[in-house]
Amino acid sequence: MFKHILLCTHSTEGAQKAEAFVFDRLEKDPALRVSVLTVLDEDWRGMTGDDWLNSSKSHATFLDHVETQVTEEIQEEWDRIRAAYPAGARAEFYQQIGNIAETIARAAGALGCDLIVIGPWQKSKGLLDNSRSKGLRDRIKNKDLHPLLPCPLMIIP
Amino acid sequence: MPRIKDNMPVIIMGVFLLVYGLIVNTGVLLPAMKYLHTHKSMDLQVMMSFILGGLALVGALINSAKEPGNSVFDRFFLQPLGGVIMILLMAMAIRWYLEPMVKIMSASLQPVLGFKLYKVLNLNYVVLGILAGVVLTNSYGIPKFAEAGVKCARFVLKMGVIMLGARYSFAELAKLGVYSVWLIGFFVLGTVFLVLWLGNLFKQPKSMTGVLSAGMGVCGVSATVAVAPVVKAKSTEMAYTIGTILSFGIICMFVFPTIGKLAGMNAVQFGAWAGTGILNSAQVAAAALAFNAVDIKTLKVAEIFNITRVLFLPVIVLVLATWFGKETGQKLSFKSVVIDKFPLFILGFLILFGMSSAGLFSPPGHYKGKYIDVSYNDRTQVTPEEWEVLNKAMAAGEFKGLTAEQMAAVNDLIHQRQIAGNYQDRNDKTKFDQVGRARMTELEGILAAAKAKTVSISAEVKSAIKHAVKQVHKKSKTVVTLTDFMIWFFAFGLIGLGMQITKKSITQAGGWPIVMGVISGTTKATLSFFVVLWLVKDVVLH
Repeated sequence: MFKHILLCTHSTEGAQKAEAFVFDRLEKDPALRVSVLTVLDEDWRGMTGDDWLNSSKSHATFLDHVETQVTEEIQEEWDRIRAAYPAGARAEFYQQIGNIAETIARAAGALGCDLIVIGPWQKSKGLLDNSRSKGLRDRIKNKDLHPLLPCPLMIIP
Repeated sequence: MPRIKDNMPVIIMGVFLLVYGLIVNTGVLLPAMKYLHTHKSMDLQVMMSFILGGLALVGALINSAKEPGNSVFDRFFLQPLGGVIMILLMAMAIRWYLEPMVKIMSASLQPVLGFKLYKVLNLNYVVLGILAGVVLTNSYGIPKFAEAGVKCARFVLKMGVIMLGARYSFAELAKLGVYSVWLIGFFVLGTVFLVLWLGNLFKQPKSMTGVLSAGMGVCGVSATVAVAPVVKAKSTEMAYTIGTILSFGIICMFVFPTIGKLAGMNAVQFGAWAGTGILNSAQVAAAALAFNAVDIKTLKVAEIFNITRVLFLPVIVLVLATWFGKETGQKLSFKSVVIDKFPLFILGFLILFGMSSAGLFSPPGHYKGKYIDVSYNDRTQVTPEEWEVLNKAMAAGEFKGLTAEQMAAVNDLIHQRQIAGNYQDRNDKTKFDQVGRARMTELEGILAAAKAKTVSISAEVKSAIKHAVKQVHKKSKTVVTLTDFMIWFFAFGLIGLGMQITKKSITQAGGWPIVMGVISGTTKATLSFFVVLWLVKDVVLH
């Protein structure tokens, strides 16, 4: 039915459910194309908070470090996916910077995907819970994502 | 005008400001201004509205007519203009409308609550400005036309600190410098090592404890931003640390001034405590202005402590880089660790301090722009009502227990309606001035005696004498103008920085950083409170 799936993952428990679902389909359907998208949240730019003492050079160094660091972490997650699912070798992996909802919609359109698959919305873990995921805690808002969708969206519960 | 639609918000603001300026100028709003106690700023309101409105319209029209460029004029005027006008408009609205209304509402709620809400929460224009910035960025978001202007906040705040340099004397700077170096040195190093020890205790990664120790120990998010690349912090570690520091800092901004007032701290003590105990440097300035926004004594102290902390930053970065480098074997150059981290704006602060000390902003003999002028002048006199109070008190024999010199000074004040020398000596300026100053000293002695309850005078008489003394203290126009600009720079900078505090960054707080952050931050705030109360007693600021 679907020819090209865009799997959006940032490696949380919910996203891993989406990974399992998509790679299971890929295993069964040799004609299926899968593109894996991980978005580097543009809101990292705002993570310098109300710092005013540093020079613009220090800010740029920090943001470069963030990009390098998050890219490394994304690569580790992709390696995990490839190791966990034999069909992962057939998938194409993309990393893009931007607003999460806008980037997902734009990437799906640009890659010609006919289905977007994401994990379920998850409740935030407690303040003192140390098992939280990497990167920024963020939730895609349906009201932001839905009007932008170029193709159907599937959420794996 | 192909881009007029993009510049419409700036045009609307410009028109609004011009119309507002015209309305204020007609005096229609005077009753409302009197109700809000802002009528004294009427001329300033008109002037600022016309200037900003004019600049907004001119800038918006140029932006609409020409292609966006990359010239100095584009980067430093045309691009940031929208944001700059928006923040200044917010600052004006907060200073002249929101803050007075909050005060009035707090006063009317006092019978119900039992306290004045604005005093307990220190809801002056600075705190309200930061809150307005935080609310805007987390609700509607920063409008596209204002993004470049909002980024100016950091630069503007640095300009405010540079201007503050003109308000210190050598003695003040030396005294405060000694205190700040010792206190900051002790608490910065102490907190850094406490966090490193906690990290070891809780078996946390070195990159995390490194980035957290700098943030908690030196100057909050600024230190985190400076140290993160050096200790190769992971994304989660940076996010949790920044979230923790921002959350803790915002709580401190409200809690510190309230505790300071409850504990009866003076301006110097509070400035020293805020400068030592609050993590984030922007919130140090905010708390200092929240504690006392009328004069800048608290800000003067807090900023010296802030500057000292910033000077410690390259040192701490070097320490952490060495400590982390030993583990990982990475080599870092002295330039990338220390030279690049040196805050250049402090040189500007020192240059202005030097210029001010050399007497460039006020005539020789003035003390930080303040000087005593006992010459005959309508503006130096007490008011007719005050003269009446003094006259009646003298007739009723209220002045008991004064020395002969003090009594003579009061008599002369009633006789001349101002503090002055003898009329017959008016052509001998030196003699006239000496006698006038001696009388002023005697009147100040009466006020001191009344405070010590060794003489008994009514509150009205005390107020009249106080005003008479105040009237002969003139200020250098240059220094007053510099100070006025500086206060607006701080207001602008802090509103802009409020807009950088996003809900997303605050909600990152958590995990081990919040456990270690709360332990170290609370320890630092509590210990520094007692140390400041114990140590800082004898600094007098002018």
